[in-house]
Amino acid sequence: MANIAAQRIKREFKEVIRSEEVAKCAINVELVNDSFTELKGEIAGPPDTPYEGGNFVLEIKVPETYPFNPPKLYLNKIHVRFITKIWHPNISSVTGAICLDILKDQWAAAMTLRTVLLSLQALLAAAEPDDPQDAVVAKQFRECRDIFWQTARHWTHVYAGGKFLLNRWYK
Amino acid sequence: MSKKQLSAVFVKMGDKVPTTKYDPNVNQDELIMKQQRLIEKEIMDSIPLVGDKEDFSSLEGEYDGDDIYKQKVKNLAKNYKYIRRTRPDGNCFFRAFSYAYLEKLIDDREEFNRFRELAAKSKENLVALGFPQFTVEDFHDTFMEVIDQVGKHHSVLSPGAPAGEDLHKVFNDQGNSDYVVVYLRLITSGQLQRDSSFYQHFIEGARSVEDFCHQEVEPMYKESDHIHIIALSTALGVGVRVRYMDRGDSAEVIAHDFPEGSLPQVHLLYRPGHYDILYPH
Repeated sequence: MANIAAQRIKREFKEVIRSEEVAKCAINVELVNDSFTELKGEIAGPPDTPYEGGNFVLEIKVPETYPFNPPKLYLNKIHVRFITKIWHPNISSVTGAICLDILKDQWAAAMTLRTVLLSLQALLAAAEPDDPQDAVVAKQFRECRDIFWQTARHWTHVYAGGKFLLNRWYK
Repeated sequence: MSKKQLSAVFVKMGDKVPTTKYDPNVNQDELIMKQQRLIEKEIMDSIPLVGDKEDFSSLEGEYDGDDIYKQKVKNLAKNYKYIRRTRPDGNCFFRAFSYAYLEKLIDDREEFNRFRELAAKSKENLVALGFPQFTVEDFHDTFMEVIDQVGKHHSVLSPGAPAGEDLHKVFNDQGNSDYVVVYLRLITSGQLQRDSSFYQHFIEGARSVEDFCHQEVEPMYKESDHIHIIALSTALGVGVRVRYMDRGDSAEVIAHDFPEGSLPQVHLLYRPGHYDILYPH
């Protein structure tokens, strides 16, 4: 079993590395150890979102039962040591846990790391506040979109290295 | 898995529940998933993916003191000699179907050749439908390897274990076995999407056929319904007879053939939520 998981992830790793998206710096993966059980993923915050300019790092753990069960993903912080912070209705602002159907019961073995990273990037561009991971963020997203945008923008700047683009009314 | 065994699993799980206090800092979603994985592990450790051929009397023994079911099993025994159980992990239809059919192909060279050709072409069809080449290829390769292992036994000169034993081994190796299941799920999804105007009518709610495939067909462990069976049997041109055994009043066990009017090559026993393999006299 573990053998299948390792073989498969090795091939997927190559698929990502050679993909167009890597050339455009939209996504990336790196090895954390030689056994391919742990990887580091990166996605660029999509344009026209409060995440633009940010670089979001993911901790990816490959279960022994891969590809029949989804990889486990957590958002992690880059340069700084503490856990990553992203202000998004479908991602826990505390733990970085992600609520995305394909990472839970809609994972299909035909998906790959590349499609997962691209789906996450799409999630940053289009939140699903009706299926939230973080209730506080989701409430703010629904009720005061301006404040939500400013907070998300601020977090991107502080935690994900995004450009300082604070709204002039903010602060 | 019998009802008795299943309830034992739940009691065991239940024992641990009262000691767990609600903690707002814990992700409840993850706790539920963790518990689900524990239940799955219990099943995994106690029931093989595909079991040995058992005499029909083993089925009768399951229903001591239950007259309705006993009568049904008796009636079923007129038509069937053996039963082969599969693990109830949500993949049982796909696993039971492919095992029973490939086992049949061991002795049917002509049908084997037809099927091999169809299976070989199936990959291009899926890629043409928009499935990702990278992963489809991966599953297709393994699928063809399993088929060719059956075909190998058609050659008289072939040494090694009896064909049935090899097949049994492959299907009880989780990796290979699950690869076969995944590929059949893709074929099923492909068939549903190719003929979506027809299948749309069988899908409840406002879901599109494509959504249905992403939610109920392609993911592992999702149980199969009529629509899966119709699509897969049609796509492969393999007739399936399913015997439905539930708590209905009739002493007969109702048979459905998929696709309608086909000659059954595979016989399955359905009990609510689960499929096992049947062997006719």
